[in-house]
Amino acid sequence: MEFWKRIEGIDRRWIYLIVGIAVIVPFLLPIPFPISITPEAQMLYDHIESLPDSVTVMLVFDYYPSTIAECEPMARSALHQFWRKDCKIITLSNIPLGGPSMAETVTREIAPEYNKVYGEDYVNLGYKANYVAVLSGMGTSIRSIFPTDNSGTNLDDIPMMDSVFNYEQVSFIFEVADNATADYWVSIVNAQYGVPMGCGTTAVSAPKYYAFVGSGQFVGLLGGMKGAAEYELLVEKPGNAVIGMGAQSMVHLLIIALVILGNIGFFMLGKHRRRVS
Amino acid sequence: MKTSFPVAVAFLTGMALVVSFFFREGTLVGDLSKNLKIWLTIVGGFTLLLGVVSITRVNWAGVKRQKSGWGYKLLTLVSIFVMAIPSILPASWSPLFGRAEGSIYDWLFTYLDSPMMATMFATLAFYIASAAYRAFRARTVESTILLLVATIVMLWRVPMGEAFLNLFPGDLPGFLNAFVMNGANLAVQRGIIIGAALGAASMSLRIILGIERTYMGKG
Repeated sequence: MEFWKRIEGIDRRWIYLIVGIAVIVPFLLPIPFPISITPEAQMLYDHIESLPDSVTVMLVFDYYPSTIAECEPMARSALHQFWRKDCKIITLSNIPLGGPSMAETVTREIAPEYNKVYGEDYVNLGYKANYVAVLSGMGTSIRSIFPTDNSGTNLDDIPMMDSVFNYEQVSFIFEVADNATADYWVSIVNAQYGVPMGCGTTAVSAPKYYAFVGSGQFVGLLGGMKGAAEYELLVEKPGNAVIGMGAQSMVHLLIIALVILGNIGFFMLGKHRRRVS
Repeated sequence: MKTSFPVAVAFLTGMALVVSFFFREGTLVGDLSKNLKIWLTIVGGFTLLLGVVSITRVNWAGVKRQKSGWGYKLLTLVSIFVMAIPSILPASWSPLFGRAEGSIYDWLFTYLDSPMMATMFATLAFYIASAAYRAFRARTVESTILLLVATIVMLWRVPMGEAFLNLFPGDLPGFLNAFVMNGANLAVQRGIIIGAALGAASMSLRIILGIERTYMGKG
């Protein structure tokens, strides 16, 4: 009984230390485990593959730098898949803190691999405040909401935008989000303008969006780092998400072990009886 | 006047957007909707400015009176302006201005802001582990069901856990995807989404009709 009392009152710093070790060790000693592909990730990949070559798509960077670990691998993999199909990519963000910068960094890093040129093959529209008005307004005219790109160049001076005026010229939208903006993309853009959409989101947000996959409003869904790892494998570009699966596995298993241990102590010390009475 | 003017503006703009939804672009009402959406983005920009003014006023007052933690307030002010001013200045003046690669803003964002935000978010793993150990208890039937399902879903969402689930007969990962995520979870989420949408619609209607006035600081 004394043992369980000590376990129950363990200093939280020991838990922090164990979590730290569980995160670091898999990066130093990777244990390869097969990563299975969920139907939602496969559906997203298949839909993008089925798009005609060279169509215009939107890639939306609606995530803050805090969730880069989960969201950026999704955006990177999407860029690989889109550019293999020679798609023209419009990037934009409804996040003021870093969205346009992250779009700029990631696209400029991957573009040389596919010989893509800014203004001809991709354009970064940047950020505009009030996302409901932005999403709704682009249905009428992208230029009315974004007269210039992120660096201030007039859209009329960007060759790729010569034939893109509103959602009618956009064949697919991939929303990478760590917040509720995905809801507005569904209710405004998909529901009112009928543009097919896919979504990549954090693990904590993913359960909500299964409803939109079920209703056919999202063609597929990537949930958290596992979803990102699945997509990396599908596009055959394993990267940070696949590497991160080891650390995430260890931490998930550790939390489960801690929950089990905590509950054993809870019952051994008879606290369940006190709580119920 | 203080009450009736905002109510009139809310009614007119709200009704204009509702009515214009049924008109095509090119018509008077359809174009009105287009212009109102542009106005909305402009107003949105001013709300950001209002935020900057507000945070500056509050923090500057703290610094001036040297309240406890005034050093942090000063750091907040310095951070805002050091990050904002070079990004607003035109890049044609210097490659350090603007938001392009190599600018001051880009450097601060990439090497300070981004890692700091990622670090803050990453610390959640430590707190979640500690909180799960202390608080996640099978106290009632409901909490026991939640605990069991959460544990199995957590196992399923990582390769090591999935490999463990595959040791059992039957397709457990497939079952979890079909019956937990696309079954019980989906049904509950739909209920929440529909409920929230109905709530938002009724709240919008109350604001348009002037019944709801809490946005003006009135009950």
